[in-house]
Amino acid sequence: MASFDLVVPETAEEAIAALQTLAPGEAAPIAGGTNLLFDLEEGRIAPRRIISLRRLPWRTLDWNGGALTIGSTLPLRSLEDDPEVRRRHPGLYEAVRNVGGVALRHRATLGGNLVRSSPASDLTPMLLALDAEVDLVGPQGDRRVPLDRFLQSSRRTDLRPGELVRSVRLPEARPSAFLLQRVRPANDISQVVVAVAFASSERSWRIAVGGVPPRPTLLPEAAASLGSGRPDPAAVRRAGASAASHSALAADRRASEEYRRRVVGHLVERAVAMVSGGEGFPA
Amino acid sequence: MTAGQLRLTVNGTAVELADVPAPERLLDTLRWRMKLKGTKEGCRTGDCGACTVLVDGRTCLSCLTLAHEVDGTSVTTIEVGPEDALVGRVRAAFEAAGALQCGYCTPGFVMAIAGLLRERGTGAPREELLEGLGGNLCRCTGYTAIVRAVDALRTETP
Repeated sequence: MASFDLVVPETAEEAIAALQTLAPGEAAPIAGGTNLLFDLEEGRIAPRRIISLRRLPWRTLDWNGGALTIGSTLPLRSLEDDPEVRRRHPGLYEAVRNVGGVALRHRATLGGNLVRSSPASDLTPMLLALDAEVDLVGPQGDRRVPLDRFLQSSRRTDLRPGELVRSVRLPEARPSAFLLQRVRPANDISQVVVAVAFASSERSWRIAVGGVPPRPTLLPEAAASLGSGRPDPAAVRRAGASAASHSALAADRRASEEYRRRVVGHLVERAVAMVSGGEGFPA
Repeated sequence: MTAGQLRLTVNGTAVELADVPAPERLLDTLRWRMKLKGTKEGCRTGDCGACTVLVDGRTCLSCLTLAHEVDGTSVTTIEVGPEDALVGRVRAAFEAAGALQCGYCTPGFVMAIAGLLRERGTGAPREELLEGLGGNLCRCTGYTAIVRAVDALRTETP
């Protein structure tokens, strides 16, 4: 494995400056490092300098009314252990606790998961259904990007040279559910995941699928078929059928297209029933 | 701001290590620099849990952790002495339950269980403790006795 040096900046400004001292690809930030060290071990990347984010004050969880801001370097285990997150974002809690094992979640971070932009991420479909926005800091200042625009394809995001993910913002608490299909229940990569949320403020549904190349996707047509409140059984079946027929479901080495279509229809129906039958669903 | 000297407390003893290269994994620092060979290298990609240690009391995959990234922390490995009563209890429960076959995954399992019990307490729901072991693989498939060891720990009074 190639050598590199490690710098440990004290502030975001120092971190951004350190990123810019080398060409993109030659300098890489490290948060939990669980993806980065895997990629280093596999020889997929060969940075000359790694910039540690461990001293930046971004291990935060802030509620502002209904909005939640999650610091990018907060370990996933801390997100999962927060009782308010579990109560107000039940789908996000389910998604987080299915990432890797406990020891991995003690170090892995939300920022790292987004920047890796893996099509197999268990987190990004749920975050899409929650209309997450990504707060970035960089040499040209701060900017906020909808997650749907931030994620492009595997390992490709809207992140510009010198930029870092500071936090992720969820605009409102939503009744939500997360379901996955895997070969093994624990510590495996999902073949398909389904995230469903009800946006109480505008009375509309979100359905997202993931675990599928090239990236997780919102399914607005399937969501629209659920109407603006608690759907009847026929509408739930229509949403499942619409999701199953969506072109976003491709094949890869983990599952065939046909398998995914069959599974997704069921998972969408089940997840919608969980959300509309849950305690938090508005009357 | 560059990585320099590395300071760790390992199993209760403060150590200062000079010239640890930036790419060195905590796993390799423990095994090759400190000769603590109890922590095992399985997959080196975070899939098997054999390298699990505690960092400030929380489980950590030492193969996916740069040693310098845990500078200043307290690291606990399977070799820890009687000062860590919880790890001692988990080791004893494994012995009593015969919870090992080839033994390679055992240090990782012991540390994973010790970490979970430290986080959640011995009164945590059985389901939660067993789910919390999902990141540890036993290639001998000797899980039944490991589950027995966990059950014995649950009924103990802390």
